[in-house]
Amino acid sequence: MRYDNPELRDRLAAEYVLGTLPSRSRRRFERLIADDPALATVVARWADRWAPLDTATPTEPPPPRVWRAVAARTRSRPARAPLAHQWLASLAFWRGLAVAACSAAALIVYITVSRELSGPPAPTVVAVLADQSGDPSWIAIAGPQRGEVSVSAAGPQAEDPRHSFELWGIAGGAPHALGLLRPQPGKAATIRADQLPPPGDLLAVSLEPPGGSTTGLPTGPVISKGKVLLTPP
Amino acid sequence: MKRFEDRSGFGSPLQLEQLVRRTSRADATAFAMLYRQSAPKLFGIALRIVGNRDEAEEVLQESFVAVWQRAGDYDAQRGSAAGWLVTIVRHCAIDHLRRRARRPEGRKAPDELLTSLASGDRGADRSAELDALQRCLGELDEQPRRAILLAYLYGFTREEIAVALAAPVGTVKSWLRRGTERLKRCLDP
Repeated sequence: MRYDNPELRDRLAAEYVLGTLPSRSRRRFERLIADDPALATVVARWADRWAPLDTATPTEPPPPRVWRAVAARTRSRPARAPLAHQWLASLAFWRGLAVAACSAAALIVYITVSRELSGPPAPTVVAVLADQSGDPSWIAIAGPQRGEVSVSAAGPQAEDPRHSFELWGIAGGAPHALGLLRPQPGKAATIRADQLPPPGDLLAVSLEPPGGSTTGLPTGPVISKGKVLLTPP
Repeated sequence: MKRFEDRSGFGSPLQLEQLVRRTSRADATAFAMLYRQSAPKLFGIALRIVGNRDEAEEVLQESFVAVWQRAGDYDAQRGSAAGWLVTIVRHCAIDHLRRRARRPEGRKAPDELLTSLASGDRGADRSAELDALQRCLGELDEQPRRAILLAYLYGFTREEIAVALAAPVGTVKSWLRRGTERLKRCLDP
């Protein structure tokens, strides 16, 4: 599609703000906005046109438990925390982002061009594995130790005692087992970085009998996959 | 930015902007104030879209975690702080709906909700923008107007609109396209 056509730009912006772009088109459009301040302005203008409806929507006091949960999840962004703690905080950040999928989308519109250089340390994302609908379901991050990669659920996975989640590296089309994953968010499985396939090749998660595949190859359905983005430090 | 005045439930726009800026410097007090000031309005919007309190609470929680983490990305040049917060909550609520199969039921017809929103906003300082939006929506044909309102007010997908209005998806797409074009011409003469 050609994105330099003003009518098309306006139409996509209108549907983006209306919320009717299909998930995939929406993500593509968000990437365009990020690089195109003029398009971001068209989007902001559409948001302005609809704003009166949100202004008129009645307020409703949320119960106190919402703030307690927010406060508990945001308490840990200390400027000078022990390294391990900081790493965990960063992980929580990425997990939150993936689970919510709500933040990246909206915020791109408003992203500032010049970012502060002194933000909190960011985790090195090695791979994001997406399910069939394209939503992130597992995430691989460098650490906690050098030469290690932690793979954890990006959101709660449907647990079933009849199967295990097994991680595979697929280098040049040939799968090799990397280990079992834990379905609870926050419970990472650690694998050796040198077992990962090279950047560009795939990581995949399949459903296997409890304890994992006994054949050395995936036997159940592949529920999630994603490219290795970089070689972890 | 004059998008949200005091009566909107967001507090003064300048103050809100300042709270977001302080939040970006990890100022927990400012963040708590930002929450106190904007959460009731944002919860109302989340509730309108996802249709039940439990899920609206989840959406609100995710949204504010995102606000804390990404407040540094907010750029006042590109829009009001209230608009930034609403955008986060709307997208989060729409994503939330798309991730689950079941849809909320028993909601007001979109025209009915529009009328009740417009009549509830009746103060002396009632917004001219809302009047204009309501008038321009009123100029659309009935089905395109319903399609557009189902999308904006409730986060319906094209397919869900097609089911709700008993029309092919292709027709819904053209309603959305032509409806928003007409709306824009009417709003910015």
